[in-house]
Amino acid sequence: MKRLVIAVAVLALAGCGGEAVVPEGQGAHGHGASSAAPPVPAASARFNDADVTFVQMMVDHLQLGISLSQVGLAKATGKEAKDLAGAIDVTQREELTMLKSWLKLWGKPEGDGANLHAAHGGQPLLDDKVINETKEKSGPEFDALFLNLMTGHQGAGVEMALDEKKDGMNPETTAYADRVVKTRQGQIEQMLKIISGP
Amino acid sequence: MKNMRKAALVLAAVPAIVLITPVGSASAHGYVSSPASRSAQCARGDVAESLCGQAKYEPQSAEGVKGKKNCSGDNGAFAPLDNDSLPWKVTNTGQTLSLTWTFTARHATRDYEYFIGNTRVGYVAGNNQQPNNPTTHNINLGGFSGRQKLFAVWNIGDTVNAFYSCIDLNINGGGGTTPPPTTTTTTRPPTTTTTTTTTTQQPPAGGTWAANTSYAVGSTVTYGGSSYRCRQAHTSLTGWEPPNVAALWEKI
Repeated sequence: MKRLVIAVAVLALAGCGGEAVVPEGQGAHGHGASSAAPPVPAASARFNDADVTFVQMMVDHLQLGISLSQVGLAKATGKEAKDLAGAIDVTQREELTMLKSWLKLWGKPEGDGANLHAAHGGQPLLDDKVINETKEKSGPEFDALFLNLMTGHQGAGVEMALDEKKDGMNPETTAYADRVVKTRQGQIEQMLKIISGP
Repeated sequence: MKNMRKAALVLAAVPAIVLITPVGSASAHGYVSSPASRSAQCARGDVAESLCGQAKYEPQSAEGVKGKKNCSGDNGAFAPLDNDSLPWKVTNTGQTLSLTWTFTARHATRDYEYFIGNTRVGYVAGNNQQPNNPTTHNINLGGFSGRQKLFAVWNIGDTVNAFYSCIDLNINGGGGTTPPPTTTTTTRPPTTTTTTTTTTQQPPAGGTWAANTSYAVGSTVTYGGSSYRCRQAHTSLTGWEPPNVAALWEKI
């Protein structure tokens, strides 16, 4: 469903070329201007609707992952689970800052996560209610719940990133998508080994 | 997912009205994570990517129309899951197996079915509700024993599709005593030299960064000719090379 919607959006809004260019001064000419090392990597100005949709959905996806990882950091009893929660927390904050700056650069809104998911036919695994309910568990039961939720959530991120690698055109965004696939797959590998043994 | 490309091509040639027609593909996905199903073993790296294909990256996506009797749902990209000769790990179990589904999205569920051969040994109603994540079922294995392939099916409530997951079992193995239900072993392929998680704490200063290594805060490594100090305890992985993640590694 998701791909269909993206494909349709590209066809309907952008034509077969499927690309848009931000106005002069905001994009390619703007981001190279600062002299100090930029705190976040900028994205170049040529992008299509698949890039925008992916980044908008990832902003929401990252925020939910950060919320869950913070509960994991506070409550997980296993060292591996706790460490992973902490690492997901800080790395996704870094990604979130970068993606928000790209949307700003492109002149696109962050979007409403719930609406985006609804528009793409998804029934997202995580929401605030599910995350809050995890706080009622403790000990090994919490760890198992946290790891299963995070495994599923990151798996959904891989699906989104694979779509972007196929349909996106912005080089920084597709490179980021490639890194999402690799890092989430690596995290899932670690989590599954905690869940079902080495 | 391949259908979508076709859909896009078709849609390009027809009026926009048709675009509203819903498609049958669910965006919900799921697989059996414990004991490690064939999909999970691909994601875990127990079986090599060269053998697993797409299942390594999307263990949750072995999706096909309901009623299939194979591990891939006849989804071509997942065909390796149907191959009984790959080096799948086998789980030892007694007559009751506790297994857990992990979902990447929660979709209304018609039911779950479990088969050994053509015998349905387990059924759990879904009542068209969203499942809890994780969902755990205790399945009685119906008197089967020895080496068996349990075929688990998650039937979606509002699409024609189902998700398929296969678990290789050794039921009441060996001496006939009942092993603990969730014990997982171990027919590791003899040639496998997969790097399992090591726990090198605090590598000496100047050690080269490596994946699958546990780094404590303050550990230092070199990567690409530069030195970095660990800012956040973690087990390293591909994609988290120090220059990529300032949140984990501070350049020194």
